[in-house]
Amino acid sequence: MTSIHKSYHVAKNDFIHAGEASIHVKNLLKSMNYNQDLVRRVAICGYEAEMNLVMHGGDGELSVDVNSERVILEVADRGPGILDIELAMQEGYSTAKEEYREMGFGAGMGLPNMKKNSDALKITSEPGQGTHVSMTFYNKG
Amino acid sequence: MQEEKDAPRHFFVHTEADLCLGCSLCVKRCPTRAIRVRDGKAAVKHSVCIGCGECIRICEQGAITASTSDLNSLSSDKISIALVSPVLYSQFPGILPRDILQGLKSMGFTHAVDMAYYFEMFQWATAEYVSRNRKTGESPWPLISPVCPVVIRLIVHRFPSLLPHVHPIMRPVALMARDVLSQFKHHYGIEGHDILLYYINPCPSKMGIPKKELGKGTHSTGALGINDIYAELSRQIKHLEKSDKIPFAQAGYEFEQCTSGGGILWSLSGGEAEATGLERILAVAGLYETITYLEKIEIGLFRDIEYIEFRACREGCIGGALNAIDKYLAKSAALKMSKVLGVGTRLNRERVLRLYDSNWFFPKVSPQDLKKIGGQQEKTFSFEEMRLIEEIVRIIDGKSCGACGSPDCRTFAEDLVKGEAAPEDCVYLELRGIQNTDLHEKLKSLKKRP
Repeated sequence: MTSIHKSYHVAKNDFIHAGEASIHVKNLLKSMNYNQDLVRRVAICGYEAEMNLVMHGGDGELSVDVNSERVILEVADRGPGILDIELAMQEGYSTAKEEYREMGFGAGMGLPNMKKNSDALKITSEPGQGTHVSMTFYNKG
Repeated sequence: MQEEKDAPRHFFVHTEADLCLGCSLCVKRCPTRAIRVRDGKAAVKHSVCIGCGECIRICEQGAITASTSDLNSLSSDKISIALVSPVLYSQFPGILPRDILQGLKSMGFTHAVDMAYYFEMFQWATAEYVSRNRKTGESPWPLISPVCPVVIRLIVHRFPSLLPHVHPIMRPVALMARDVLSQFKHHYGIEGHDILLYYINPCPSKMGIPKKELGKGTHSTGALGINDIYAELSRQIKHLEKSDKIPFAQAGYEFEQCTSGGGILWSLSGGEAEATGLERILAVAGLYETITYLEKIEIGLFRDIEYIEFRACREGCIGGALNAIDKYLAKSAALKMSKVLGVGTRLNRERVLRLYDSNWFFPKVSPQDLKKIGGQQEKTFSFEEMRLIEEIVRIIDGKSCGACGSPDCRTFAEDLVKGEAAPEDCVYLELRGIQNTDLHEKLKSLKKRP
């Protein structure tokens, strides 16, 4: 089955527009009458991913691939990469700059939240090579 | 345009075909995409209109007006009572609220009742609910103020997943209508049918208060725009100034519930937020700002905020489309008057809490009922329909010119798929050379759908 695919550019340090891609994705799913819980989970993960791009990733891309059975959210950036993925998955672990934390971001909940709210999460990252995160959400009707 | 079968009984706006140029300014402005230009004239899908008044504001021809209640009934043998939004006071700089209430009586209202008392009731109940919700977690944060009816309808239409956030206390005007009705029934020893309530306010939503909120044996409350009565009320107030003023102490029944500086502040953005005394609270005003915030709440933001006061109009209700004077003049007048009257609380908290525990503040309508009152939810599409919409948008690759009568290319594509527009309405589709393609056949067949 073919799917609907969309991608959005997310710019580094752009806190003003952070979240807009997730809002688009959310509205796309809403207009296709996906169940509220799935839409909510995708939106939360999308926003966390966008914030990661804004704070760590450098410019990057958020893309969504939708068919009637599942939603795949993918985030790719050309940032510094993650040194220790296992550590990065722990709640409260953060490498965010002090200035971001002062703004109330970078609490170290981003990846854990993405894991918690998606049905499957896969991260591939090499230091210096950027990070790729793929999240799948199954449509349970 | 034909009236839709499922349209609600109340139409918020009315279009004047003779004046309409079909310019589509209103089409592009409408937050619920409820307007199209059809046969050169603006046509409103009333079932998705939320009564925000943006089209009234933007129309340069004055071709769109609010639907209004009829004032003729004031001369009838029924008791007519004006429920007065504090915004009315801001329209008469330098005039005391009690004189404005008196002016309403000179106009023919049997009584004119100020809202300040009910605002205070509401703010105590809100503070109580928030404090209990911290323990019970019954409602998700942030709570959304139930006060602005346009915001509530916007939520029903575009953000139904946020309905559980709507603060479940009755809004002040509903508390007021119910209480005033019961007091005057008792006072006159008559039935609710013989009392007509008119809510005087600047809001094109014109909803008044539905019967459902007030109980059996009542009429729904009518609503009058401030601009409907402004000229006549001004005359009456001028006349009052010439005649002997009523001594303060004899101002009558109304004065017992007469306004406070705090009540007047409710007409401005932030007045409700200020009154609750909560710390983690925001006041957001303006339709597009409100939409942005609702979008963000829907992606999980603002969970650390307890309450958000939303107003669809800029600067709050003084920015309502049916006011008589400019919103910044009104703001200045309201701020001055609130200083003259002074802010502070007057009610006995223990008494309010007793009412709270007797469920006095809780409406009989649930969020599910709100859906019914608030109109239709946005139409959704199947996966296949959505693919078609995406394909059409990609092929048009236009600039949302609006020549087709829809607000933008995406909405046009949706209209096409719904069978509400035809391929030839779009100037681009022809140019892209889709004649004799599968898509063209598919689009033509869509048009034939019932």
